[in-house]
Amino acid sequence: MHSPAAAIAWEFRQRHRWGLAAVAGCLMVVAAVKLLFLASGQPIPLESPTQFAMVGVVPLGATSFYLLALFSFGFSGDLAARQSIYPARMFTLPVTSWALAGWPMLYGASAMTILWAAMRLFAPWPPGVAIPVVWPALLGAVALAWTQALTWLPYGLPGLRVVVAILWLTVMDTVVLLALHFEAREPVMLAILAPQVPLAYFVARFAVARARRGDVPDWRGLFVGLGRLADPGRRRERFDSPARAQLWFESRRHGRSLPVLVGLVLPFELALLLAAGDAPVLVFEILLGVLLTPLFMAAFAAATVRKANAGGGDDYGVTPHMATRPLTSAALIAAKLKMAFWSTLTAWVLVLVAIPVALYLTATGPVVIDRVRRIVEAVGTPRAVVFALLVSSALLSSTWKQLVQSLYVGLSGREWAVKASVFLALLFLAVVGPLALWFVEHGAMWTGLWDALPWILATLAGLKLAGAAWVAMRLYEERLVTDRTLVAGTACWLVVVLALHGLLAWLVDTPFIPSYLLLLVAILAIPLLRVSAAPLALAWNRHR
Amino acid sequence: MSESVINVSALTRRFGATTALVSVSLSLPRGAVYGLVGENGAGKTTLIKHILGLLRAQSGSVRVFGLDPVTDPVGVLSRTGYLSEEHDLPGWMRVDELIRYSRAFYSAWDDAYAEELREAFALQPSATIKNLSKGEKARVGLLVALAYRPELLVLDEPSTGLDPVVRRDILDAIIRTIADEGRTVLFSSHLLDEVERVADHVTMISHGNIVLSAPLADIRESHRVGERVPSLDEIFVVHVGESAAPAPDA
Repeated sequence: MHSPAAAIAWEFRQRHRWGLAAVAGCLMVVAAVKLLFLASGQPIPLESPTQFAMVGVVPLGATSFYLLALFSFGFSGDLAARQSIYPARMFTLPVTSWALAGWPMLYGASAMTILWAAMRLFAPWPPGVAIPVVWPALLGAVALAWTQALTWLPYGLPGLRVVVAILWLTVMDTVVLLALHFEAREPVMLAILAPQVPLAYFVARFAVARARRGDVPDWRGLFVGLGRLADPGRRRERFDSPARAQLWFESRRHGRSLPVLVGLVLPFELALLLAAGDAPVLVFEILLGVLLTPLFMAAFAAATVRKANAGGGDDYGVTPHMATRPLTSAALIAAKLKMAFWSTLTAWVLVLVAIPVALYLTATGPVVIDRVRRIVEAVGTPRAVVFALLVSSALLSSTWKQLVQSLYVGLSGREWAVKASVFLALLFLAVVGPLALWFVEHGAMWTGLWDALPWILATLAGLKLAGAAWVAMRLYEERLVTDRTLVAGTACWLVVVLALHGLLAWLVDTPFIPSYLLLLVAILAIPLLRVSAAPLALAWNRHR
Repeated sequence: MSESVINVSALTRRFGATTALVSVSLSLPRGAVYGLVGENGAGKTTLIKHILGLLRAQSGSVRVFGLDPVTDPVGVLSRTGYLSEEHDLPGWMRVDELIRYSRAFYSAWDDAYAEELREAFALQPSATIKNLSKGEKARVGLLVALAYRPELLVLDEPSTGLDPVVRRDILDAIIRTIADEGRTVLFSSHLLDEVERVADHVTMISHGNIVLSAPLADIRESHRVGERVPSLDEIFVVHVGESAAPAPDA
C-alpha cells in the first residue's frame, strides 16, 4: 500500500470481503437468470411494474442498505451514541480531514454506481421499460453521502443521529418521488441530485473535523430534570440486590434509547394529521404509521442493546468489567429483558398519550371515533374490546421482541455470527418479496401453499420446540439456570400460549380454520427459542 | 500457609496456531502476595483470565476456592477482586454511581473503607469516569476491587502506563490489603522491581511455560553467588534469557 487512499480501500475490502463477495455472487445469479431467458429466446415473465419492483427493486434496496452501513462504518459504530460513528482510531492517521471524509465517500459512491450499472445490465427488466441511465446511480451516491455525513456528525443527544438521518433521507426521497410523479426527465433529476454531492461532502468533512478534535455537543443538561424522573436508581441510596443494580445499569445504558427515538419522531408524524383533514383513509394511514413507529425504532435500538461490548467500538467480546460481575449469565440477560420491557412500556405510553392529544388538537378525533363505533356495531362490543386488547398486546410484545430477539447473536461475541445474521436478514428481505409475489401470481401454487400451511406451521413449531428443548438441556447442563427457573419459565410460556390459543379460538370463530392451526400460530407467536438462547450465547462469550 | 486458593492443573490453551499456555500447573496457598512475571505476551493475562473464568480451560483444570470459575462464576467472582489491565470501567458512570453500583454485588462491601480509599486516591464523587486520567481510572478500579476486602485480589499489570505516584498508591494499597490477615494477592507485572518490593512468592512465565515458581527469599538464596544476592532482574534473565522473543499477544 503506497498511499492512505489505498490503505483505507484495503480496510473496507479486507473487513467486508465476505459480504462484498456475497453481493457479487447475488449479482452473478441475477445475470445468469437473465442470460438463461435470453438464450432460450423466452420473454422475461415480468408483466407489471409491481412484479419487477419485487424482483428487482427489493434486492437492489437490500444491497444498497448493506453498502450504506458498510461505507458509513455503521457495522462498528454506535448509532445511538452522541459521538461520531467514524472510527476514532483513524483520527490519528497523518491525513487531512478532507481525505478521511473523502475517500470513504468516493469508494461508497463508486460502489453504488457499480451496483446500479450491474443491475441495469443484468437485472431481468420487463420489456418496454425505459431504463434511466445515470440518475439512479447518482441517487444511490447522494443517499450514501448524506448517510455518511449525518452519521459521522457528533450530536448533542443520544439517538438524535437516527432521527435526523431518517428525517433528512425521507425529505430527500420525497423530493425525488415528487419529481418522478411529475415525470421529470433525466436532466432534471440530475439537476436535483448532483448539487447535493458536494454539499454532503462539505457536511461530512465538517463532521469528521469536529469529531476529530473531540468536539461533541452536550444538550443532556436540558433534560436533567427528566433524567432524574426516569432514573429511580439515582434517588436510591443503595440497591436492594445485584439484580436491581444490573437493571439500573442496563436502563441507564440502553433503556432510554427507544422512548427518546419514538418521542423525537412522534411530533413530526402526528403533525401530518393537520394535513389529513377529514380524509379518513389518510388519518388511518398516519395512525398506522404512528403505531408502527415503536416497532420500527426498536430495530435501531436493538442494535445497541444486543452489543456485548456496551462501551461501543469494534470489539465484539464482552468487557472484563461486565464479564467479572458476580452474576450468572442468566441474571445478566434477565436485566436486559426487564430493561427492554420497561423501555417498551415507556415508548408505548408516549404513543398512547400523544395520539389522543394529537387527534384533539387537529380535530380529527371524530373521524376515528366514528370508524371505531362502526366496527363495534359490526362485530359486537366484547369482540371489539378483545380484538383491541389483542392488537395492543401484539404491538407491545412485538416491540419488546424486536428489542431482545437478536440478543443471542450480538451477545455471542462472534464477529462472524453478527455479520452472518445481517447478511441473512438482507437475503431474507431480498427473497421474501419475489417469493410472495410468485405464490400470489401462480394461483395453483397459492392453493397448494394454503393446503400445506398446517404442515409448514407444524414443521416450524416442531423446529422451534426442538430447538428450545436443546437450549433448555444446554442451560441445565451448564448450570446457567436453576431447575426451578427452567420449570417456571416453561410453565409460564405454556400458560401464555394456551391463553393466546383460547383467545384466538374465541375470536376467530369459523369452521374454516381448525383449532390446532390456531395453536400452532400461538406456539410460533410467543417468543421462546431466541430469548432462551441468549444466556447460552453470553456464557459462550463470557467464558471463551 | 493453609489450603490453596488457586489450583491450576496441566492447563493448556491455544489461540489458533499459537499456544499461549503449555500444561501450566500452579498452586497458590492462602495468605500471601504472588507476583506473576514474564515478558509481554508470555501468557500472564491468559492465565489470569482462566482464573477469573473469562477463558474456559481447553485441557487441564482451574479451581479457585475449590470451585470451577466457569461453571460457578458467582461463587468465585463474589470473593475475588479484579483490576483489569484495560481499565474498562463504564465511562458514562460517575465515580459515586460506580461505587453504588458495585456495592450491590458484594455483601461484604465496607462503606467506610471505600470512603477512606476514595479520599486517599483523591477521587471526586461527581467526576465522570470517561473524563478521568488513566491513573485516576486505575485508582477507581482499585477502589471497587478492594472495598469489599476480597479473599483473593487479582491485579493484571496494575501499573502499566502509570506514573510513579499512582504506582506507589497501588502498591501501598496492595500492602494494606495483605496487612489484613488471611487474604491473597495475585498480580502480574513485567516491572520486576515492583514485584521484588511487594511479592512474597514469584512465578516466572515464558512462552506459556512456568520456568520458576518459589518464594522470593528462596529464589534469591538459591541464586546467591558468594556474598552477592542477584536482583530479580538478573534472575529473570538467567531463566527466561535475553533471547526470549516476544510471543504473540496473549
